[in-house]
Amino acid sequence: MKRTLPLAIVIILGFLFVGYVFVPHKISQDFYDWYMEWMKAMSPFGVILGIMSITMTHTARIQHKVPNWQYSIVTLIAMIFTAYAGFQWGTQEGTPYMWLFKNVQMPMGATMFSLLAFYIASASYKAFRARSAEATVLLLAAIIVMLGQVPIGVSMFGEGINDITQWILNVPNLASKRGIALGVGLGMVATSLRILLGIERTYLGGGE
Amino acid sequence: MNLFERLQKLDRRWIFLVVAVAIILPLIFPFNSKTYTTDPTEKLYRLIDSYAPGPHEKAIEKDKAVLMVFTHDASTMPELFPMEVAILRHCFERKIKVFTMTFIPSAAPIMDYAINTVKEEFPEIKSGEHYVNFGYKIGALALPIVLGMGEDIAEAVDIDAEGRKVSSLPIMKNVKNYNEMNLIMDFSGSSAGGMWITYARSKYGANVGVGVTAVMAADEYPYLQTGQITGMLAGLKGAAEYEKLVDVFASNPDPAKREFSRELLKDPKWDDAITNQNIQYKFKQARIGMNAQSVAHIMIIVFILIGNIGYFITKYKQKQQG
Repeated sequence: MKRTLPLAIVIILGFLFVGYVFVPHKISQDFYDWYMEWMKAMSPFGVILGIMSITMTHTARIQHKVPNWQYSIVTLIAMIFTAYAGFQWGTQEGTPYMWLFKNVQMPMGATMFSLLAFYIASASYKAFRARSAEATVLLLAAIIVMLGQVPIGVSMFGEGINDITQWILNVPNLASKRGIALGVGLGMVATSLRILLGIERTYLGGGE
Repeated sequence: MNLFERLQKLDRRWIFLVVAVAIILPLIFPFNSKTYTTDPTEKLYRLIDSYAPGPHEKAIEKDKAVLMVFTHDASTMPELFPMEVAILRHCFERKIKVFTMTFIPSAAPIMDYAINTVKEEFPEIKSGEHYVNFGYKIGALALPIVLGMGEDIAEAVDIDAEGRKVSSLPIMKNVKNYNEMNLIMDFSGSSAGGMWITYARSKYGANVGVGVTAVMAADEYPYLQTGQITGMLAGLKGAAEYEKLVDVFASNPDPAKREFSRELLKDPKWDDAITNQNIQYKFKQARIGMNAQSVAHIMIIVFILIGNIGYFITKYKQKQQG
C-alpha cells in the first residue's frame, strides 16, 4: 500500500495533466484551475515543512555534538533573526533586513562563487595538459575564447580574436550543445513515459 | 629536482595567491580599457530602446514594456547585478515601462536593491507609473503566472510588491499581455530562461532575452541561433557592453545622438569610462570588473602555458633517461 498509493497518484495525475496539455476543453481547463487553487493553498505548508526540517536537522546536530556542530547554532540564529527582522521592520531599503542582505548575505554569497576563479586557475595549471590531439584542440580553443572574452586579449591580438571566439561559440560549441540538448530532451520524454506507465519506480525510494 | 619538476608540483596555495593579487590589483588601480560590444548585446539594447516613447508621446501611453525576471541569489550578483542596473538605467533614462518579478525568495531583496540603486538618480521616476515591482511570486505558481500573463497580466499577477492591485496602476494603461510587455529578460546563473522560451515565446510570441553568468553562456547559443532568444548578456562582459551602450546612447547628453549608431560607438572617447568622473561608480562596475577579469584570464593562460612547458620538458627528459 505504501508504494501502490503514491504510484497510483502519480499515474492518474500524470495522465490528467497530459490530457490538460493536449485536450483544450473546458473540463480540462476547469481541472487545471481547481488544481492551481490547491497549489496556492499547499505552498505555504512547504515553507513550514522547510523550517521544520532545518530546525530539526540542526537541533539534532547540536544535541549530538557532531563535528562542527557550532555552525548549526549560527545557522539557527541567522534564520530566526533574519525572519524576525523581516517581519518586525519589513524588507524595504533602510531596514535591518536589507542591511543584513547587503552586508552579510551578498558578500558571503559572492565570496563562495568567486572561489570558482581560484579552483579554475589551480585546476587548469595542474590538469590542463596537451596530452593528446583532442586535449590540444580543447586547450587551444579555451585559450582563444578566454582571450576573446576580455578587452586585453583584443588589445593584444586585434579584433580578429573576437571573430574566432564567436566562431568557436557559434559553430563547434553550438553543435555540441544542441546534440546534448536533443539527447537530454529525448531522455526526458522516455523517462516521463516510463514514470507515467509505472515502469520507472525508483523515485518512490526504498527497497521492495 | 629541477625547476620544471618543481613547477609541476607547485603548491596550489601559490596559485591562489597569484590569482588573488591579479584580481585585487586591477580593482584597486582600475585602468581604461576598450569595451567591444557584441551582436547579442546590441540586439537586446536596440529592442529595449525601440520601446521608448517618442518625443511627442507620453511615457504612460506607450504600449510596450519590459519584464525583468530575477532568477538568482546573492552568489551570482557580481556578474548579474551590473546587467540589471544597466538595463534599469536604460529604461529609466528613456522612460521605458519596466516590470520586475522573481520566483525565488532570495532574489526579492536584489530587485529592491537594483531598483533603488538606479532610482535615486532619477527622481522623476515613479513606482506604479514608470515601473512596477511585482515582487516575489511562489515558485510553484510560476507556470500558471507565465501562461496567465499571456492573457492578462493584471489578473495573473494580481498584486505588486507593495500590495497594490496591479489592474489599478497607471502603468497598466495600454499594457494587457505579452503583446505589450513584449520582452522578458531573465537573469540567472542557470538555464532558467528556458521556461520563458517554452511558454511565453512559443505560445504567445513574446521576445525573450537572457542575462546569464559567463559559465552558462555557452548553453544559450543554440537558442540565439534559432532566434528563440532575441539577445543575451553573457557574464560580466555582457554587462560591461550594456553599460557602454547606455553611456553612449541612452545617457548621451546630446538628445540627437541617442539613436543607436555604429559610428558613434567607434568613437574612442567612450572608452575612458573608468577615469570619467561624470559616470558614477555604480554605472561602470562591470567595466571596472572587466579589468580584473582581463588580468585573471591572462594569469590562467600563463599558468596553462607554464604547466604545459613543464610537462613536455619533464616528459622529454624522462624519455632521454630511458
